[in-house]
Amino acid sequence: MAAPVAPPMRSPQGTMGARRKDGGAHRAVHCGLRGSIMAAPTQRTAGWGRWLCTAAAPRPWRLFGAMCLLRLPRITQPLEKEEEEMAALMGQIELEKSHYSDHEIRKLQEEEQLRRRKESTYDDDEAPGKTVIMAQDLEDKWEQKLLQFEAAPRITDADKNNNRTSLNRKLDSNLMLLVKQKIGNQELWLLPQVEWQPGETLRSTAERAMATFLGDHIQAKILGNAPYGIYKYKFPRAIRTEDNMGAKVFFFKAFLQSSDLSQAELKEDYLWVTKDELGDYLKSEYLKKVNRFLLDL
Amino acid sequence: SKSVSPHALCSFFFLSSWLPQTVPFRGSHWQTSLLELRASLPTRAQPKKKKKVDVKREQAQKDRMKKKIKKLEKAAPEMIPIEDFIPPLKYSESNRVRSLPPLSFEETERRVLLMKKWCLFKQKQDKAEQKAIQTLVEAQQEALKELRLESEELYQAAIRRDEGLFPFERDGPNYTPPLPGYDPPEGKCVDITKVYTQ
Repeated sequence: MAAPVAPPMRSPQGTMGARRKDGGAHRAVHCGLRGSIMAAPTQRTAGWGRWLCTAAAPRPWRLFGAMCLLRLPRITQPLEKEEEEMAALMGQIELEKSHYSDHEIRKLQEEEQLRRRKESTYDDDEAPGKTVIMAQDLEDKWEQKLLQFEAAPRITDADKNNNRTSLNRKLDSNLMLLVKQKIGNQELWLLPQVEWQPGETLRSTAERAMATFLGDHIQAKILGNAPYGIYKYKFPRAIRTEDNMGAKVFFFKAFLQSSDLSQAELKEDYLWVTKDELGDYLKSEYLKKVNRFLLDL
Repeated sequence: SKSVSPHALCSFFFLSSWLPQTVPFRGSHWQTSLLELRASLPTRAQPKKKKKVDVKREQAQKDRMKKKIKKLEKAAPEMIPIEDFIPPLKYSESNRVRSLPPLSFEETERRVLLMKKWCLFKQKQDKAEQKAIQTLVEAQQEALKELRLESEELYQAAIRRDEGLFPFERDGPNYTPPLPGYDPPEGKCVDITKVYTQ
């Protein structure tokens, strides 16, 4: 093991502070001393104690790799009020600064001709053979064609039914996958996670987690080898032992590439939720950690 | 051997005039044999120096050509005109100018105030984005620190660069979702952009 590094000074609220891995000397360094330098000497002596006792201290933290799978937005978000006003202003300024185009000049000339023909009685020998189609007619035709086309609706059926298992909901924001997992005795909603096994990197643990819940043929782009966040927790006193104090869950992020997962779902208890709806399902501590590495969309 | 002295021959014939036939005269004193024609007439009146001069002249010509080529190459290449920056002449005619009523005072005031509001809006948006990115980075640093405490090899595997990540391509979001079963109309696109070579 490398030389003992100073533990992080800032401790997360709620969970116990960063404890050193002392296999031998159990020194309860309670981080009520938050951010204080007084923690350092005690840590160092604990480290010395450890060096003197045993060579290889078993790590008391179990490692998990969790995957935060994001479905990226498919449509643009609606504009805010200021944005809409600004867009209108920009259009107006552009119009004022522009010159007439060919189509507009043609339209103006034809209007002029029509007016002249109405005011004074011209013979109609100019009209036939020359301008059968006028610019105004063209514009009407284009308008009709546009009205005939119907685009797909931005608010889908899944939105209206609030079907949280479908991927077609909330097309303008990120959706992430939540699964119900059994941890200890409880069934909890979590990001899919799986225990780390020695011999693989954490990224492959996360990929395995994704594969267990969604099947092998998922096209997802994992953003890099490094974890994005961490959630540490200690086991309740009943199961806590010297070798098994708690668990660290490392989160990885991935973007979903394929849009349909028809053959994928193995477990029934899964949800696709946005960042705001995470609060309905996740516990507060877990949620706090997860929220830190999710960009607000 | 042909090295019979010519004078000796001549004098021999004249001295002994018992030969009845006439003796054909030779063309010149260089013609050694009587029966030979002008096959081996001297063509070496001038010494043959033309070869060297040709070679030198050709060499000089080639060098001059190369110098000219180098000069042309050194001159800066002609700039390729950017089509977008040159407005076509037909758009600067006067009948093209739009005729609109001038802006009222209230309108200009409204515009200025809207610009200021927009400035503030964008500043707040930018600050929020920067803060979000900072929390992201901090969360990742914390995670890496914890990982290092756990095991060095996992940490090293985590900070290794991911080669397959870039180039990362993605189609951006549109205004409406794709219409299932939409058949786009057929057509051909002819590219008429002018291509310049230097």
